[in-house]
Amino acid sequence: MSTATIALLGQPNSGKSTLFNALTGLRQHVGNWPGKTVEKKEGSFTHNGMEYRVADLPGSYSLSANSDEEVITRDYIASGDADVVCILADSSQLQRSLFMLADYAGIDVPCFLLLNMSDVAKDQGKTIDAKAIEERLGIPVIPFSATDTRSYDVFYEAMGRAINNKTRLNLNDLKKQYESIKGYQEICDLIPENALPGYSSMWAAVKVIEGDRVVSAKLKNAVGAETFAKIEEIKKNTQGAVATGGCKFAWIDDVLDKAVVSGEKKVTLSRLDRIYTSRVWGKPAVILTVLLGLIASFIPALPLMGVGSAVIAIKEPVMNALYSAGCPEVIVLVIGDVIIQSFSYIFKMLGFVFGVTLVFGLLEEAGVMARISYVFDNTMGKLGLQGKSVMPFLVSFGCTMGGAAGARVIDNWGQKVLTIALAWAVPCGAAWATIPMLASIFFGPGAVGVIVAILLTMLVHMWITAKVFGGKLVKVEDRYGMIMELPPYHKPKWGSLFRYVFGRTKETFVRVTKVILLVCGLFWLLSYSPSGNTSVLYRIGVAIEPVTRFFGMPWQLFLSYIASAVGKEGAIGVISALYNGGSLGTAFVDSMNGAARAANFNEMMLANVTKPEALAFIFAMTFNMPCVVALAATYQETHSAKWTARIVLYYTVMSLILAFIAYHIGLLIW
Amino acid sequence: MKELSGLPVDSTCVIASLDGDQRFISRITSIGLTPGCRVNVIKNDGNRPMLIYSRDTMIALNRNECKGIMVKEVTA
Ligand SMILES: Nc1nc2c(ncn2[C@@H]2O[C@H](COP(=O)(O)OP(=O)(O)OP(=O)(O)O)[C@@H](O)[C@H]2O)c(=O)[nH]1
Repeated sequence: MSTATIALLGQPNSGKSTLFNALTGLRQHVGNWPGKTVEKKEGSFTHNGMEYRVADLPGSYSLSANSDEEVITRDYIASGDADVVCILADSSQLQRSLFMLADYAGIDVPCFLLLNMSDVAKDQGKTIDAKAIEERLGIPVIPFSATDTRSYDVFYEAMGRAINNKTRLNLNDLKKQYESIKGYQEICDLIPENALPGYSSMWAAVKVIEGDRVVSAKLKNAVGAETFAKIEEIKKNTQGAVATGGCKFAWIDDVLDKAVVSGEKKVTLSRLDRIYTSRVWGKPAVILTVLLGLIASFIPALPLMGVGSAVIAIKEPVMNALYSAGCPEVIVLVIGDVIIQSFSYIFKMLGFVFGVTLVFGLLEEAGVMARISYVFDNTMGKLGLQGKSVMPFLVSFGCTMGGAAGARVIDNWGQKVLTIALAWAVPCGAAWATIPMLASIFFGPGAVGVIVAILLTMLVHMWITAKVFGGKLVKVEDRYGMIMELPPYHKPKWGSLFRYVFGRTKETFVRVTKVILLVCGLFWLLSYSPSGNTSVLYRIGVAIEPVTRFFGMPWQLFLSYIASAVGKEGAIGVISALYNGGSLGTAFVDSMNGAARAANFNEMMLANVTKPEALAFIFAMTFNMPCVVALAATYQETHSAKWTARIVLYYTVMSLILAFIAYHIGLLIW
Repeated sequence: MKELSGLPVDSTCVIASLDGDQRFISRITSIGLTPGCRVNVIKNDGNRPMLIYSRDTMIALNRNECKGIMVKEVTA
């Protein structure tokens, strides 16, 4: 089967993801560009017996060197790996969104233009004469609506025409515009055609005038220092990107002249936007929206969570049946406590991932996420993050895994990883169930103080974490204030949304199953003790007790701390079992499945654990790795084993440091 | 000529000049704000990003970022 590769290029909100998902369906893969902190989305589809590969290029407003995304995008296109570039523009704001086309002009790869959102433009009373635009540009130009799957025939037709005829953009008029810039022609003449492979000398000259560092460096290599010095000299007298930007829009105006007819309209903020942008109500409204979203996400999550509980229900009968069939105990335990148990976690997790992806995908689709970005831009900007990052943080109070899954709406990979890394510091629902319980046993009404201390520590922790990882993930020179479009609200398209959510859930399933089975298997193996307390973990715990005491944790608490990294719900059960002489593994599994804690738990704790130790344990458990499912979700979203491992290691160290501090403060007090 | 951020809500202006580092100029032009282009001020308060409307688009602008945007006010 013959193949062709098509690349999708467009500004944010032009509908690229919608088109990409509709074309590729479940046949897509998200990874990173080699060696870069930029996400790479690829997929494929077949049409008329021909196989097409699709590359969804990172969305940006131009092809300058303002970010890694843009440099990767243009280099990928210029490399010629794609046979054709499909450029998307938003018909409802055609003039502005054609800037990408103007910036593309001069890259020597066949292309065609989709005037997407033509339904929206029509609703606004705009009429667009695509044929006239096509004649002026010399490439296929079609009105299109990415959300209307019945309209894709025109897309395939235009794509076919572009590939077969290798249609290239007509550059004459744009060239004339640039020639009006004093010095442009001289610079252009100093750049031989193909000095930068894939780029025309016009394109290179314009980028030099715009002060594009990456192009300048390459050009210096290509033409030699002497010629480049001349270019630099001439460049000084141009007005840079202001001049070239003016030319681009003047060209766009000519292209659209008489081809677009629109009625005048007065813009006002919708009632919802008046609330979101209000100085007083903006933040409360966003927090309320996210919390309602979190609650709402439990509804679609319930069926899958039910499956998770049902899986646990079959555990006993299956294990009993295996025993009576004479199966060796080890195998029965592996099947019951590792495999069945893991699948129960996995289904519960998938339920939540499904719910969160659906609800927050919906908010993203509808345009609410952009408002959240706006409202929290200042606050989150201080951490090097986008305003949207507030959403995963809030969700993490319920469940860190949900927070990690929700971080998907952050379109910059570095900021996404940083957001997840910070979200881990937010104590989740299971921690909140444990903290007040333990704290009140030891400190009575002082438990409130512990909770406040935990919250303050969380804030400091997030701030430190942002400093530790921020420099690497979000380069300081890449941090600026927001210059962002606030897109109009869209009615969600349920079909494509569900397709996307199902696709993501399926992909998550495959990936996390591996991680969870691995970690749960390992934990089981380490805590497996055929007779009495002889597990590897027990032996290690007892052996290194002199060290862990340093952090305020006798071996029982330390093993419970280790268990809490797998699942916080299990921590209490483990403590209880260890002080009662029970077995770690069984106690953990039982309490993860919701077993009640021992009746004498309070007395037993008070008899065996001192106040400073209790405080140390509360901090260690709270700020430890949230759980195996959060780990799996982090791996799934960052698709980086390296970064996931770094975050795990960092949290382990931090939680021990915090335990140490808490313990020693405790020793001073009591 | 005035700074964009000095304009009251509901005023209309035309961008007169842009001033700032190369990156700022590149970002601001690529979102469609170039000299000569018409801008409506939709929201302008406190230290929150400004909201403006230009070329059929609602744009949120960080306050620091819009310091370099000089405009001429036009009376509708
Ligand atoms: N009415 C209408 N809505 C559309 C059309 N195409 C996309 N949308 C909606 O526009 C919004 C933005 O679309 P996306 O596909 O997320 O845009 P994108 O270019 O991928 O944007 P980024 O993810 O920010 O890069 C979504 O809510 C889509 O449902 C269209 O042709 N008509």
